[in-house]
Amino acid sequence: MTRPPLLCAYGLCLRFGARGVLDDCSLAIAAGEACVLTGDNGAGKTTLLRVLAGLQRPDAGTLLFDGQPVEAGRFPPSVRRALQFVPAHPLLFSTSVQANIDYGLRARGIGRAECRRLAQAAIEWARLQPVAATDPRRLSAGETQRTAIARAWVLAPRLLLFDEPTANLDRESHAQVLDLVGRLVRDGAAVLIAAHDRALAELPGARRLHLSGGRLATLGA
Amino acid sequence: MLEPTREALYRLASLDPALWTVIGVSMQVSLAALAIATPFAVAGGYLLAMTRFPGRRLLVVLLQSLLSLPTVVIGLLLYLLLSRQGPLGAWQLLFTREAMAIGQVVIAFPIVCAFTLAAVQAADPRLHETARLLGASRLRAAFTLLREVRFALVAAILSGFGRVVSEVGCALMVGGNIAGHTRTIPTAIALETSKGAFTEGIALGIVLMGVALVVNVALAFSQGAGQGQGNDRGRSGPGAPGRTAGVP
Repeated sequence: MTRPPLLCAYGLCLRFGARGVLDDCSLAIAAGEACVLTGDNGAGKTTLLRVLAGLQRPDAGTLLFDGQPVEAGRFPPSVRRALQFVPAHPLLFSTSVQANIDYGLRARGIGRAECRRLAQAAIEWARLQPVAATDPRRLSAGETQRTAIARAWVLAPRLLLFDEPTANLDRESHAQVLDLVGRLVRDGAAVLIAAHDRALAELPGARRLHLSGGRLATLGA
Repeated sequence: MLEPTREALYRLASLDPALWTVIGVSMQVSLAALAIATPFAVAGGYLLAMTRFPGRRLLVVLLQSLLSLPTVVIGLLLYLLLSRQGPLGAWQLLFTREAMAIGQVVIAFPIVCAFTLAAVQAADPRLHETARLLGASRLRAAFTLLREVRFALVAAILSGFGRVVSEVGCALMVGGNIAGHTRTIPTAIALETSKGAFTEGIALGIVLMGVALVVNVALAFSQGAGQGQGNDRGRSGPGAPGRTAGVP
């Protein structure tokens, strides 16, 4: 049975000055579907993710979430809650790993005890127990990335957008982040991952999209 | 010189009521003014940094101009407003601590506001975006960002305090330098020196220098604590530089 599309984009176009970044890009991501987005440096992968996350307004095109049109930059709270975007260089607040992870929970008005319980579960899921109380400034790049992923995961989003989650990581951190993303996909989360990394680009079960010259092409699962 | 200094130290140590009343009035007025000015100035600086609207550039230029406005000019304008024939004369505030506090609010506001504007502009632009992505309301995202630049905010507030506690022009004009009522450290120093009573002047000068020292040590401490603050523009992670407040 075909799964209903969660996020649809039709005819996305975006130019930065004279440079066209997205040219009539259309895609649909179903609930529970994993997609990998590849493309050369500067192809517009990050821009496409930012448009899909509502952070960047396209010059033209339509976005639908759950079949309802949504305007980039003005996503209604229900859509903002359903989407999480983890950038290539995530920013952590200068509090602690645990406080970063429960930030979104507190913003949703969840009680302190429940926040702590959920954050603890996320910390264990991302295997961040040794650094849970650590100031994020003291984390390695891999730990920072895992904290950002756990911070998004704990909010139980219906769609997760990752921008190069394994970029600039050493071998061990790379394996740990890859493991987290792999577990997310196996658990049935809808994900769209922009990746250069071969290990991510060939993620089992993921549909492959390729962005080139502003155009999006499906390469097959 | 040595004898008046020794006498000044003795009078301070023996808790001379005349001296300590002046110190009390100074602290009361300056802290009250700062407490009133800070929330508005921080909110104003944040909004100026985060929003774009017609006339914003002009407002920033105006704010920067207010930084260098002589305190006697503020005192003069306030005097004209509060004097019996002035538009606010009915309030009967002239030569009161309230009038001095109003003047100091006007002096502190642009300092704290401009420093907040600089701090927020210098903060990593991803801070607000990240908070919003995680579901924070605009208000929560604002508090999150301000929390991230807290060391620069402390520096801004301390700078404002340093300015108002040592200003003489406005306090003299709208306070009237009334003993036990509106006499502050700087106005008392000016008066005692003009009378040739150097002992009081030196004693209060020591206090003022002590206050300046405490403020500067606190400022240095807050800047030191901010070193390595990870959320400066475009950088995060170990070794990112601290943020020092600066005028935009």
